[in-house]
Amino acid sequence: MNNTENVIEIKNLKKSYDHGNIKALNGIDLTVKKGEFISIMGPSGAGKSTLLNMIGALDTADEGIIKVAGIDLMKTKKLNQFRSQEIGFVFQMHNLIPNLSVIENVEIPMYETNANSSEMRERALELLKSVNLEKKIEQKPTKLSGGERQRVAIARALVNHPSIILADEPTGSLDSKTGEVILNLLKELHTQENVTLVMVTHEPYVGNMAERLVTVLDGKCKTDEKLR
Amino acid sequence: MSFLSLVVKNPFRNKTRSALAIVGIAIGIMVIVALGMVTGGLKSSTQSTLKAGAAEITALQTGSNSFGSGGTLNESLVNDLLSTNGVKDTAGILRATNTSSSASSLGSNSSQSSFGPGGSISITGIDSGKLSLVGIDNVNGSAFNNGSTDEIIIGKTFAQDQNLTVGNTINLYGKDFKITGTFETGSFITDAGIYMPLSTLQNLTSNDNKISAILVKVTDNANVTTVSQNIESSYPNQLTTTTAEATAGRINQGLGFIDTASWAISLLAIFIGAVGVINTMIMSVYERTREIGVLKAVGWTDKRILGMILGESIVLTLIAFVVGTIIAVVGVEILLTYSPSVSGIIKPSFALDIFARAFLVAFLVGVIGGLYPAYRASRLSPTEALRYE
Ligand SMILES: Nc1ncnc2c1ncn2[C@@H]1O[C@H](COP(=O)(O)OP(=O)(O)OP(=O)(O)O)[C@@H](O)[C@H]1O
Ligand SMILES: [Mg+2]
Repeated sequence: MNNTENVIEIKNLKKSYDHGNIKALNGIDLTVKKGEFISIMGPSGAGKSTLLNMIGALDTADEGIIKVAGIDLMKTKKLNQFRSQEIGFVFQMHNLIPNLSVIENVEIPMYETNANSSEMRERALELLKSVNLEKKIEQKPTKLSGGERQRVAIARALVNHPSIILADEPTGSLDSKTGEVILNLLKELHTQENVTLVMVTHEPYVGNMAERLVTVLDGKCKTDEKLR
Repeated sequence: MSFLSLVVKNPFRNKTRSALAIVGIAIGIMVIVALGMVTGGLKSSTQSTLKAGAAEITALQTGSNSFGSGGTLNESLVNDLLSTNGVKDTAGILRATNTSSSASSLGSNSSQSSFGPGGSISITGIDSGKLSLVGIDNVNGSAFNNGSTDEIIIGKTFAQDQNLTVGNTINLYGKDFKITGTFETGSFITDAGIYMPLSTLQNLTSNDNKISAILVKVTDNANVTTVSQNIESSYPNQLTTTTAEATAGRINQGLGFIDTASWAISLLAIFIGAVGVINTMIMSVYERTREIGVLKAVGWTDKRILGMILGESIVLTLIAFVVGTIIAVVGVEILLTYSPSVSGIIKPSFALDIFARAFLVAFLVGVIGGLYPAYRASRLSPTEALRYE
């Protein structure tokens, strides 16, 4: 296996909660190639969100191997730097900051980079254009529709040129038509920005839009099929 | 948007809560600034009684009250004292008071004078050549002539209070006096008084050849305490001396007490303010738990989150500093404008250290009050924070 091609390498990864009583991840294996678009499905409580959190270094695993973008997450101390440079999160809930304007929300991840205020604004504007929100950059998120908010969240996720977008049910709180728009946008940007896209979803038609579909059950990978 | 503008923006999210925290701290700051302005003003007033040129020693009839009023000493002592070792110059003064009932016809101001304790005016008789011994170095206009019987000079506070100026006349002891000059020494007691030739006041009050006190200026190298002991031992049972320094010391001791009280209030303000800020910021962090999770997810360091919350807390207290200071300054000014009797005594000080102290208090409240909530926010686990409903 060529290491430079695999942006995610996970082997026998375990994570338990509640003093070991809940085995959220129970020896999961997963390898993702650079630029791939994979979707993860599985019943509620299977460990999908936990897996995404491990990949995004929001939490640390108990044991196993996890290397993301060439970084050994079991060893590195600079988790925030890793998140800032390599990962873009899109959550089910948009999680935008209500008192900041759309463009200010998109700028938020850039505080950890060397960009100055005008560079931050320029980059944020560029992304808001690509999600078709350039007309609403000064709006407050509370004035936006659910789909528009999720588009802001996507722009925010991409702003630091991450190698991976981790999307946890990005269409979960949207109606199917809006969900489709968001999905197409994610797919388009993943190609355009050459970023790996890992998406958790409950809806089969959403999962089937990916290049590859992985199903998770009881903290393990159950199936792994190439769709196209 | 810069990080700083983000920090400044955040406290305005919950305006009511922030406003309440600001009001609490602003009250503390206001008390600190107002007390500082008033005590600072009193301090510089006592300090100016110690200025160069003025007499260092006041000799009074033994057994008389400390202020010395009426003719209790024989005028001949003024010259006798000059031969005492270390004495450079002496001046006899006669002090008298004129009640406001006879002073109500004063000046152009029709309102009843409410000046001074009991509404009385302090009048001092002195040789015009000796004015520097009471601290009057410059007269705006001219000093009275020693031989005149209808000339006076008045202090600036008195002039302002009564709306009087050079050339006006006022009625004292049933006689019209012409104001030939005004003066300002910085001492609130001196600046509130009237000065006229010694002989004139002696005549008016039937105190011929009598004086209330002798002002003594010591030679340049002499020790004030030694000279004042010399005087007392040369005139036992006749003269008692007080030094300006000792008087100022006594006043400063009193002011020192106010100073201590003001520090105690500052400490209390820090404590109460900090509790208020901790409460406000903990609420704010609690409400924003998910948001802090997002900030961690997008790569913010713990240090940046700590800095943001701490910064927000300091922004709150600095707003309180500005609000409290403005209220204090405006409040003191209003008090002085609408209460001339107070303005006669208090010249508020605008010394920088008063504001620096208030700023320090505000800043400390911000840091102390913000530290714990900021630490809590920075230590939140990102997954827990993101799961928070
Ligand atoms: N922080 C935590 N503390 C305790 N238990 C947790 C924690 N996070 C996850 N779990 C448990 O781990 C298991 C897997 O949770 P996870 O959120 O990964 O499931 P999921 O596959 O994302 O489910 P869903 O589809 O409902 O989102 C669940 O039983 C959950 O209760
Ligand atoms: Mg989940």
